[in-house]
Amino acid sequence: MSFVYQNIYYIGSIGLILIGLYVVLVKRNLIKVIIGLSFLDTGINLLLISVGYVRHGTAPIFSRPGLSPGQMVDPVPQALVLTAIVIGVAVLALALSLAVRLYEHYGTLDLRKIRGLRW
Amino acid sequence: MVSPALLVAVPLGLAFALPLLRLAWREVDRYVPPVGMAFNLVVSLSLLPVVLKNPVVVWIGGNFPPPFCINLVAGPVGVLLSAVIALVGLLVAIYAIGYIREGDTGRYHTLYLLLLTGATGAVLTGDIFNLFVFFEILCISSYALVAYLGDRNGVEAAVKYLVQGSVGTGMVLVGIALLYGQFGTLNMADIAGRVNSVSPASVFVPLVLLVAGFGVEAAIFPLNAWLPDAHSSAPSSISAILSGIAIKVGVYAMARVIFTMFGASELFPSLMVVGLLTLFVGEMSAFAQGDIKRMLAYSSIGQIGLIAFALGLGTLHGLSGGMFQVVSHALSKSLLFLAVGYMIYRTGSMEISSLEGMGRRMPLTSLAFVVGAFSLVGFPPFVGFPSKFMIVKAAVENGGLSTVLVAVALVGTVIEGAYFLKVVQVMYFKGGRELKREEAPATALVPIFVLVLMVLVLGVYPRPMVEVLDSAASELLDRLKYVQWVMR
Repeated sequence: MSFVYQNIYYIGSIGLILIGLYVVLVKRNLIKVIIGLSFLDTGINLLLISVGYVRHGTAPIFSRPGLSPGQMVDPVPQALVLTAIVIGVAVLALALSLAVRLYEHYGTLDLRKIRGLRW
Repeated sequence: MVSPALLVAVPLGLAFALPLLRLAWREVDRYVPPVGMAFNLVVSLSLLPVVLKNPVVVWIGGNFPPPFCINLVAGPVGVLLSAVIALVGLLVAIYAIGYIREGDTGRYHTLYLLLLTGATGAVLTGDIFNLFVFFEILCISSYALVAYLGDRNGVEAAVKYLVQGSVGTGMVLVGIALLYGQFGTLNMADIAGRVNSVSPASVFVPLVLLVAGFGVEAAIFPLNAWLPDAHSSAPSSISAILSGIAIKVGVYAMARVIFTMFGASELFPSLMVVGLLTLFVGEMSAFAQGDIKRMLAYSSIGQIGLIAFALGLGTLHGLSGGMFQVVSHALSKSLLFLAVGYMIYRTGSMEISSLEGMGRRMPLTSLAFVVGAFSLVGFPPFVGFPSKFMIVKAAVENGGLSTVLVAVALVGTVIEGAYFLKVVQVMYFKGGRELKREEAPATALVPIFVLVLMVLVLGVYPRPMVEVLDSAASELLDRLKYVQWVMR
């Protein structure tokens, strides 16, 4: 159990990534696929955060006396996650607007019925 | 000397200034990308002789030395590729002045500049996360550009491209997270210096994730399902950029990860085999196509396979052959897409059979198409010949298995010759004689013939190019030197 306890953040975030991949691969509704992509993004962001996390750590600011760098979390992954969130938002917004366009053309979001091009 | 950072900053700034400039004069949008790309071309070419002697490393973000800052590494590889990107980008931008008439043209030109910013940044950066960010800029703007016309096929292709592309870049980000967890650094040179200090098993997963993630954009065989749809449904000027530039950036990122960062020589044989598979899948599918743009798109997959094969040789000559193939394919394939763009515009159909009589109807454009096609197949006076010759020579030098594999690869080239000659035959030897001439406009003919000229000049006189390529290949192969440049 101690393995699970110590690595709970990694297990959780990788689980979320795998759920996202499953949804993208298996679901036939485009909106669900986009939700899967969003899961994938969230899982990756959590993975990045947990890479830099220090148990019981605080923000990397010398806010009170006697705070040593060992008690702080790594700020770099948080900066990366901010960037990754912005990118994720851009991709999701584009995906949803394409979904609207696709619905206008085909009248459905079922990927099995959308096959104007040969897959 | 001009700072390489301007190569990224100027197109990015112009992309966001473009909507503002449009407030002053509505027609300005189509003239902004050529200006930005002309600037990039001049800067890249002026940097090239400098970086051949001594690479330029720029620190961004405080004046901390690497690995604490974000850095741009303007080595031979980066500057060569940024020059190619700027050249093809400039010519396609000139073509687009007359070609892009429909829709909100301001949006097209902004996205176009962003795409080229992403490509230039990705080849110049020395920071793995920055590579990811530039790569995403490239990908997101190409998803949007594929759907630019908003028609049925374009939107569907863009959705497929978007889903596969974002899963791919997601894998890249997971790989980066694992690498950061292991080494605590994002600088590629720093990672390259430390990879040997840990057990190979612990860097295997990030290596695979990075190669697979970049492989989606590079359209390596099992990951290439999006390419034929996206490249054939986009407007022709965008197809030219996607085939000429975007997939090459994917190949560059893969090469950078495999050679410079990890020095993963165990991966070379599998890279060769995957390259051959990609080559055959691409060429066979291209042979079966009746749609000219899909045929060209599948042929791009085949060429990427050949490049991957050359990189997989893992020798100096193999790498410079592969890089030469990158350049020659960028020139010839964008030439083909640009030429085909106006043929489709005139006939209103993408079927190969509808190109009958083109040799008389649009003689200059058809001539350019023939030059591009012959160059891709590898006929002598064109640039495809020296590049393919270098790959074959490198493979034979390597001896053993690679000699056999290159013989198989040449069969792929024969298939390529077969379908390109079929198209040439339809264009020149079929169809009635009573067709009147309706040539493409000058804004299209000028870039097309500049490309024809480049294809011819580099084909006849490849020597200066080969010198640049050799030092580019040694930058990719010589990890120690790369680490020393950056870390100093």
